[in-house]
Amino acid sequence: MLAAALASIRLTDARFRRANADVEIGLLLVGGGIATGLFGSLLGLGGGVLLVPLLTLGFDLPVREAVGVSLVCVIITSAASATVFLDRGVANLRLGMVLELFTAIGALIGGLIAFLLDERFLAGLFALLLAYTAVTMLRPRGPATEDPPADAPAGGDDGAADSRPAGAWTRVGRAMAGRNTAGHSDRIRRPIPGAIGGVGGGVTSALLGVGGGLIMVPIMHVVMGIPLRVSTATSNLMIGVTASTSAIVYLLRGGIDPYATGPAAVGVFVGAAIGSRIVHRVHTRLLRLLFAAVLAYTAVLMVQRALVIP
Amino acid sequence: MIGSTIGPGRSLDPERRSLERVVSRALKIGTYAAMVLIVAGVVRLLADGRSPLDVAPTLDPGTLVGDVLALRPSGLLWLGVILVLATPPLRVATALVGYLRAGEREMAIVAVLILAVIALGVIAGIAGS
Repeated sequence: MLAAALASIRLTDARFRRANADVEIGLLLVGGGIATGLFGSLLGLGGGVLLVPLLTLGFDLPVREAVGVSLVCVIITSAASATVFLDRGVANLRLGMVLELFTAIGALIGGLIAFLLDERFLAGLFALLLAYTAVTMLRPRGPATEDPPADAPAGGDDGAADSRPAGAWTRVGRAMAGRNTAGHSDRIRRPIPGAIGGVGGGVTSALLGVGGGLIMVPIMHVVMGIPLRVSTATSNLMIGVTASTSAIVYLLRGGIDPYATGPAAVGVFVGAAIGSRIVHRVHTRLLRLLFAAVLAYTAVLMVQRALVIP
Repeated sequence: MIGSTIGPGRSLDPERRSLERVVSRALKIGTYAAMVLIVAGVVRLLADGRSPLDVAPTLDPGTLVGDVLALRPSGLLWLGVILVLATPPLRVATALVGYLRAGEREMAIVAVLILAVIALGVIAGIAGS
């Protein structure tokens, strides 16, 4: 009888310890989400670049499952900040909608390809993205409202296009150009390379669980000649439709686990909200250098993962 | 080629500002409603002593409403995730209505095409599940 009582106590104790461990894991996921949301917001990165390595390397989730969790998180953070950009009139809704048609096409393709690819390939691809992001962290950042670069390729950039017969592209272009930000002309150049780049950004987003801003902001700013501030805000707006197109494929194919997604999403939401409030008070130069090193190291770990997954 | 522009100092179109505010409101409502469900789901998940790394029950539309009403973590979290995923298409649909009302045919067509691509994603997802 005593032995049975002891066994019962041990069992209860084991259950209690397991429950505690489960709560700890949940809190660690929330904490990790807060850290990725906070630093992502301070560094101008979507949470995905930091969240996917955290989930795969820290919590041992398969890469594809981590990508599914990350897609849900980037939709939440982009929606929260897009509302601010829309209210302030910085994001160009029309430009965003035309481009997100192409990013959504890319995301659909990427969402379908993702289930055909090997985990190791995805991990290797993510390592490349981390290395690229680390390099972008080392580059100096221009002022947020800078004009398009002087060497930006021009296409109908002198107003002459307005005198041509209005084709469908021109009419859509005029509609897109109708929003501007304080003191700037939203002149839109090279729509076809921009659209092709959008498809590439969508595929990348779907395969790696990132928002795609790392690709879309340079495309809009350098290729299409949109001011950097508008490009950043509009890219943020586009992330929602891009990520939700592929996330729907992930969801229906069993690639999203709500138990892992919930705590991470809560954390990322809180972290991004804190980050957006303190970003103007934080000197990010040192932080960017530090994170360049962290991302480079994480890239090495992802390469290792790419090599060891059976 | 697209090359149109609006120069500095020209006033913003109030109709367009109004549409952007409506779209922004749709995003806010969807996001905050989803976050309420997800936070409730996480609290229930941890209160039930379940690990977030356990495999969750698969999504079953037939039992979803019952699970939500019973405040089961899987139901709350699944509905929260679905709402997150539905918010961007809802934003596009809101913009579509605005463009149709304003008679902006080209942008309305763009919005319809975006919704069509998302619908293709739903079909491809169901077909592959």
